Amino acid sequence: MYQWPSGTNPARPYDRFAVTDIDRIRNFCIIAHIDHGKSTLADRVLELTHAVSDRDMRAQYLDKMDLERERGITIKAQAVRLAHTAHGHTHELNLIDTPGHVDFTYEVSRSLEACEGAILLVDAAQGIEAQTLANYHLARDAGLVIVPVVNKIDLPAADPESVARDLAELVGCAPDEVVRVSAKTGEGVPELLDVVIERVPPPQGDPSDPLRALIFDSMFDPYRGVIVYVRVADGTLASRARIRLMATKVETEAEEAGVMAPEATPVGKLEPGEVGYLVTGLKDVHHAKVGDTVTLAGKAGAKMPLPGYREPKPMVWSGLFPSEGGDYSELREALDKLKLSDSSLVYEPETSRALGFGFRCGFLGLLHMDIVRERLEREFGLELIATAPNVEFHVLRNHEISVVHNPSEMPQPGTYDQVKEPMVLATIIAPTEYLGQVMDLCQSRRGEQADMKYLTPERAEVHYVLPLAEIIFDFFDQLKSRTRGYASLDYEPFGYEPADLVRVDVLLHGEPVDSFSSVVHREKAYQYGKAMVERLRGLIPRQMFDVAIQATIGSRVIARETVKAKRKDVLAKCYGGDITRKRKLLEEQKKGKARMRRIGRVDVPQEAFIAALRVDQKAKS
Amino acid sequence: MSAAGIYVHVPFCLTRCGYCDFNAYAGLDHLRPHYARALIAEAEAAAPDWAGEEMVSIFLGGGTPTTLDPLDLTGVLAHLRDRFEVVEDAEATIEANPDTVDREKLEALLAAGFDRLSMGAQSFDRAVLASLERIHSPDSVRTAFKAAREAGYQNVSLDLIYGADGESLESWERTVREAVALALEHVSAYALTIEPATPLGRKIAAGLVPPPDPDLQADMFALACDLFRDAGYRHYEVSNWAKPGYECLHNMGYWERRPYLGLGAGAHSYRDDHRWWNVRPPEEYMTLVGAGRRPTGGEEHLGPSDAFLEEVFLRLRTLEGIPASWVEPERAEPHLQGGLLSEAGGTLVPTERGMLLLNELVLSLTSASTPPVGLLNM
Ligand SMILES: Nc1nc2c(ncn2[C@@H]2O[C@H](COP(=O)(O)OP(=O)(O)O)[C@@H](O)[C@H]2O)c(=O)[nH]1
Ligand code: SF4
Ligand SMILES: [Mg+2]
Repeated sequence: MYQWPSGTNPARPYDRFAVTDIDRIRNFCIIAHIDHGKSTLADRVLELTHAVSDRDMRAQYLDKMDLERERGITIKAQAVRLAHTAHGHTHELNLIDTPGHVDFTYEVSRSLEACEGAILLVDAAQGIEAQTLANYHLARDAGLVIVPVVNKIDLPAADPESVARDLAELVGCAPDEVVRVSAKTGEGVPELLDVVIERVPPPQGDPSDPLRALIFDSMFDPYRGVIVYVRVADGTLASRARIRLMATKVETEAEEAGVMAPEATPVGKLEPGEVGYLVTGLKDVHHAKVGDTVTLAGKAGAKMPLPGYREPKPMVWSGLFPSEGGDYSELREALDKLKLSDSSLVYEPETSRALGFGFRCGFLGLLHMDIVRERLEREFGLELIATAPNVEFHVLRNHEISVVHNPSEMPQPGTYDQVKEPMVLATIIAPTEYLGQVMDLCQSRRGEQADMKYLTPERAEVHYVLPLAEIIFDFFDQLKSRTRGYASLDYEPFGYEPADLVRVDVLLHGEPVDSFSSVVHREKAYQYGKAMVERLRGLIPRQMFDVAIQATIGSRVIARETVKAKRKDVLAKCYGGDITRKRKLLEEQKKGKARMRRIGRVDVPQEAFIAALRVDQKAKS
Repeated sequence: MSAAGIYVHVPFCLTRCGYCDFNAYAGLDHLRPHYARALIAEAEAAAPDWAGEEMVSIFLGGGTPTTLDPLDLTGVLAHLRDRFEVVEDAEATIEANPDTVDREKLEALLAAGFDRLSMGAQSFDRAVLASLERIHSPDSVRTAFKAAREAGYQNVSLDLIYGADGESLESWERTVREAVALALEHVSAYALTIEPATPLGRKIAAGLVPPPDPDLQADMFALACDLFRDAGYRHYEVSNWAKPGYECLHNMGYWERRPYLGLGAGAHSYRDDHRWWNVRPPEEYMTLVGAGRRPTGGEEHLGPSDAFLEEVFLRLRTLEGIPASWVEPERAEPHLQGGLLSEAGGTLVPTERGMLLLNELVLSLTSASTPPVGLLNM
């Protein structure tokens, strides 16, 4: 382990922050492509500033949620306040850790709003990747000062010099202005903090102006209610003040203002430029919206809110249903609570003939969907069934557009003029030797190349316009496997385009099963229909009659399978000692039947739905 | 007076067959010489409770009863006749496995009063016997059968099993035809059923052996039905065929819900919606009985809906059927139409197809029914 140079570490106590001169505050974040070392760097910074005692230190300290620790990714941005001494002065550093996955670009832009500067971290062995670019552009557009940093210089395969050159070119600075660190050993990290203090400007604002604090994150605590994370722009936010949330017009008392150091630590007040938390005392998750402005109640309040965030736009939709015997209202409550700490989640009630009452939910992407589902199951103890995810469609009829989030609501062919699907502009960075592979893949996914440029003679950046539906499932895995892991991907919404899409329905014994409907490109409809009916044939238990499983487009059958009627269902032996047991078996069978869903005349166990929907995601992917 | 039966369980076998989940043990030879004494002690203690109950059948099953000394078997039967009100012409069955009997032993058993012999043949195909992990060969079945006839047995039944791994429809046909050629009085033919807690069950779970194919078993069932019918057998229960007059009176008692007293390790008893059973391990059973205690291991009292369900599913196993008045006509109607049930003189009887789908039939006939008034004091 790297030895900290002596004298860099101030004593750790906290109260020296009680009031910090605004000129000594630095709010910054770390942005990077996934796995380039953000969380590890944050750990080193926490250690260096003695924010966490050695005993409490654990790897990736800021990745709080169990889920994050298990998956090794950062989902929710975390803010933490630190002390660092440079040039003889102790500074207050507010570090905001951000997620790296493309699903969570939205979280990144929120954390950017709370910062004046950003450390742009690049892996010295990997070089610039697609999300390096995406995050860099977000930070630059938000007006942040960029501190370019090359990480992992300890790696034998590292090429810090050439990566520093590329990075300098990207951000427009001299290569020797690029900081070199190893987040693993800690080398260069103290110097990096000095650079942050030098280059990142302090926030501005007047503590005597009317209070305006931006809510950039929120959570629900079962004991304390709604807690919001804020950055104060103007004025002073003091504990016990009467406050108003400007968008929702809700008034409440600021029960406690504090900072994350990195554990929650109450402070008397938060002043301009400071980042901290506020226990609002609110119980309703809908009253505190991310992007809203906190001000004081009454006359002392500000007139104009701070510019808020743009509402995140869900990209992927899926139905969530309580599994058998589960409770719809529990699911609603859980979603309401989750929404508070994840404002990108949207949902509306949905009724399925096959799965009962549930919600159609919008997610930022598949990873986001998985995480929401896992959090619902883990944190709220729910058991859920999720339908296969789909994108949103715009259906044009007589010059009117209707937005469809659910394939089973897609009108029948011939009843509308046109369907449009969401497109994305994808940025792919790959070694030039794999370009052919990358292009083949994009072509097979209905992609159109927009442009291409060589970053170096060995690496190229290509842009493709692709249907979102073609890339959300397994595109990234395919890309990785075709480029032996060397390609990186980022994408952003790119409008809607007309497409030859059709709705494929699945019928059991002539009855459509709404949760199996899907909207697919006409050329892939047959393949999809065939795969789906074959899979279902293996999952639907044999009934007393032959069950036809059909995939249809409108009234046309495109694939068909039959589950043959069962011929034998009897207990072969039944004598003295068997009778009790056999009666119980029959009772079990009876209960099992009662638990099944009935589609027309066909009894389908819930497990069959779950299995069909689960495999469906894989098959599509 | 309700024509009761006595079942005696002998839990010993030479080896254990791979599919078997009966209360049967190989390697307990040291207990065998003392087992008959335990049976007699238990019978002695139970007799007063059954006073006034007319016993129409006695059945020694297992396990393999013929692993006991014929003198012991003779003694047990004599004791039962002595202590219970066994009718003069009571049916007395003994189960046997080939390789445990010869002509001499069979003569002794017949002389002792076991007038019905039920033998575990299972198949006449060597490969099928191997797949079932039976220790005997087809020839030892033939030899044992011949010995039974020579000893004077005029009421012999064979057990057959169909659907083992490797058994084709053709092989099964040969087995059935050979059984028919023996001019048996009675045949039981069972679809091989996989019990998870058996060596075969574990092999199937581990993917080492394929599970029986239910469609092939359905074809085998249909074939058996045809061949036995052609040979003059009455298909009187799902898995049982008999020449007229040779139906097993004892087993009919189970399906008619007549009372029975079970003696021996793990044996079940039943009377008036009360069922109880003995502890299963032979040693524990013998110890309890030896100490003068009841070897009961558990019991249940059937409520009206349990009793009704049993009544329906047991009676529908046989040609006895159930009174049409027990079920709502609209429940029976689709099955009469669909050929799973037939109705004659106000009685619903399963067809052969219906027998094969009996679980579904019972569930759909009973799901909303409440026990008809009057059933409870039948
Ligand atoms: N060798 C080396 N590995 C590092 C360094 N920084 C991070 N890592 C490793 O890179 C992986 C990804 O790091 P992490 O901090 O989770 O990246 P994040 O996704 O950007 O938060 C982890 O296995 C880290 O241990 C470094 O400076 N040197
Ligand atoms: S002979 Fe019968 S009771 Fe004994 S192990 Fe084999 S199948 Fe089981
Ligand atoms: Mg991380």
